[in-house]
Amino acid sequence: MAEITTLALNGLAWGLIVALIALGLSVIFGLLDVINVAHGDFFMVGTVLAWVAVDATGSFAVALVLVPILGLLLGALTERIAIRPVLSTIVLTVVSTHGLGILMQEGVRATFGATPRRLVAPVGGTITLPGDVQYDVYRLVAAGAAALALLAFFAFQQRTRFGTWMRAVRHDRETATTLGIPVARVQLLTFSIGAGLALLGGVIAAPITTVDFRAGIEILPTCFMAVVVGGLGNLPGTAAAAVLLAVTEGVVSAFLDPSAARIVSLCLMCAVLFLRPHGLFAGARA
Amino acid sequence: MTNRRSFLQTALAGGAASVFITRDLYAQASGPIVIGHQIELTGGFSSWGYWHDKAAKAAAKLINDGGGIAGRRLDLVTEDSESNPATGARKLRSLVQRNRAAFIQGSVHSGVMLASIPIATELKTVYFSTGEATEATGSRGSRWAFRTGSDTYSLAGAAAPWAFANLGKTWTMIFPDYAWGHSHHQEHKAVIERLGGKVHDPIAVPLDARDLLPYLTRIPQDTEVLFSVFFGAQSVAFYTQAKSMGLERTMKMYSVSGTIEAIAPEDMDGAAEGVTVVENFPRSLAAKDDEFHREHLRLMEVDGVHAREANSRRVYAKSHAWQAWENMFLLKAAVEASGWRTKRDDPALVAALEGMEMPNSLAHPQGAKTLRKQDHSGMVDTYISRVTGNELKPVQKVAKETLATALPPRFDFSTQAL
Repeated sequence: MAEITTLALNGLAWGLIVALIALGLSVIFGLLDVINVAHGDFFMVGTVLAWVAVDATGSFAVALVLVPILGLLLGALTERIAIRPVLSTIVLTVVSTHGLGILMQEGVRATFGATPRRLVAPVGGTITLPGDVQYDVYRLVAAGAAALALLAFFAFQQRTRFGTWMRAVRHDRETATTLGIPVARVQLLTFSIGAGLALLGGVIAAPITTVDFRAGIEILPTCFMAVVVGGLGNLPGTAAAAVLLAVTEGVVSAFLDPSAARIVSLCLMCAVLFLRPHGLFAGARA
Repeated sequence: MTNRRSFLQTALAGGAASVFITRDLYAQASGPIVIGHQIELTGGFSSWGYWHDKAAKAAAKLINDGGGIAGRRLDLVTEDSESNPATGARKLRSLVQRNRAAFIQGSVHSGVMLASIPIATELKTVYFSTGEATEATGSRGSRWAFRTGSDTYSLAGAAAPWAFANLGKTWTMIFPDYAWGHSHHQEHKAVIERLGGKVHDPIAVPLDARDLLPYLTRIPQDTEVLFSVFFGAQSVAFYTQAKSMGLERTMKMYSVSGTIEAIAPEDMDGAAEGVTVVENFPRSLAAKDDEFHREHLRLMEVDGVHAREANSRRVYAKSHAWQAWENMFLLKAAVEASGWRTKRDDPALVAALEGMEMPNSLAHPQGAKTLRKQDHSGMVDTYISRVTGNELKPVQKVAKETLATALPPRFDFSTQAL
């Protein structure tokens, strides 16, 4: 029972962080129909910039504020250079973002180096869970920060004029254009927000994982699973699916080998694709 | 039916082919000697690959500055395996068939290395493994495959008895779910159980896992020694997350050099403090303080404490990349001893390599060693170090003679036909 508690709690904490990163992927797909296979690399850049910011200033708070802003700028630049010219053909966006991902990885390897680094958590210490398991306090802080960021994004999307525009463009791009909504600007900012969420996820996750030029490769499949299970473009569904998958994997890990737990997650995704091809939360979107 | 025209066509084709064949056999008898270097310049092992590249190039320069190999220039041709076995195998063929490499200094990535040995054997080309999976000079080895450095068999044989006596009797092993990790587990388990210790069920972690907590919670609480085998980013993740769970307070952390290769303990901000590590070329100059070691470090542009590069933050992947340096000199010695001129002389070169002695020198700064005849394995000094005050400090040295006695050869490749 103690092990289940620990693994479920960890699944929840990790799931919230993944949800934040996956949300960026879902935002970009849902609003722009762009399959951003470089999304994991945006996350990786977030971890690297966080390390650089902390190394330069000694302050994690600076990284937490500065890096997402840099993410917005990087996203805007990417949208103009790599996305907008190929936006009309979805397949080309895959090719374009794949190339972008390679550029980002090799760019980081060439400048930051291939050696993995550790970013020390700004909050130290452990709490004792049932079964005398020591659990890292920072994981709980990170989960809380991710949850806050998710809530802030949904509030922005629901309560602001720009959020309304984003939803309008997703719903019907042509009608939005006729209503005077600046669709090109919305697309630009949407991609920026998606990238910014990935970089923010990188800052939050960096003290838990590692800072290294390949960090994005591992996180991308998990994010895609959340997007698929949650329903393509369904933003609350993506966040919920990320948490659900991580908690499921955590609980199953208490009974099976963690690798087998990953297989269970993949089977769950297959079942969702068979039974609800538009995602587990497709109804919620409608 | 053969007529005059077809006869002439066949004769011309045969003549042309014989010109090419003759060129292949003899054209290189006096030109440069090409050594192919299959390394990981990109991908997961690229932080190590940089050093293998630098070491091989520095050694090649030293050899050429000293007159080359038997008076012939050494041409080093490098191919990037991308840390991918399929790509590595393809690049190996390219090195031999396109670049006409006579010998191959091979990969440190066990997957690439094990995928390459059958190809090197098929192409009848001497291949130096640099990775640690014991199969390379064991069940999947051949007479064409050699390894100057340590493997999982020798690392377990050299250091596990010391760890058993000094760290604890009840072990748990956690490692990445691929050839290198499983090989370490099998060899260490055999030694610990032979000594009367208890080894819990292994914990194999998928290569892409970064959240290791689900795996760390499976470590039994009566574990006295946690033997971890990771590399690169997963290694940093392991130390960080194990530290955050306070595992080092209840068990001794023990590992092999690969886990901390190319990473300075000070860059992990104390996460690796107290870890005992098995090295075969100690990071600390103090552990083997002689003129050859010092000169090697000077030429590699690294310091004698952290092995950090003078003009960057990179840390020398010292316990593996020394082989890329030493194997250049070993090949030079073997070519000159056997009178090798072309690939037709390979049998004599292989025979010269089998049992070759290497003296402690600038050519072999890791120390004196023997390339054992039967299993083509290097018998080298092994060092046990511990991370103390963010530095790897020597604790114990296991001499190569002890290793050779404790680890009898399990395979004999010297009887295979070439």
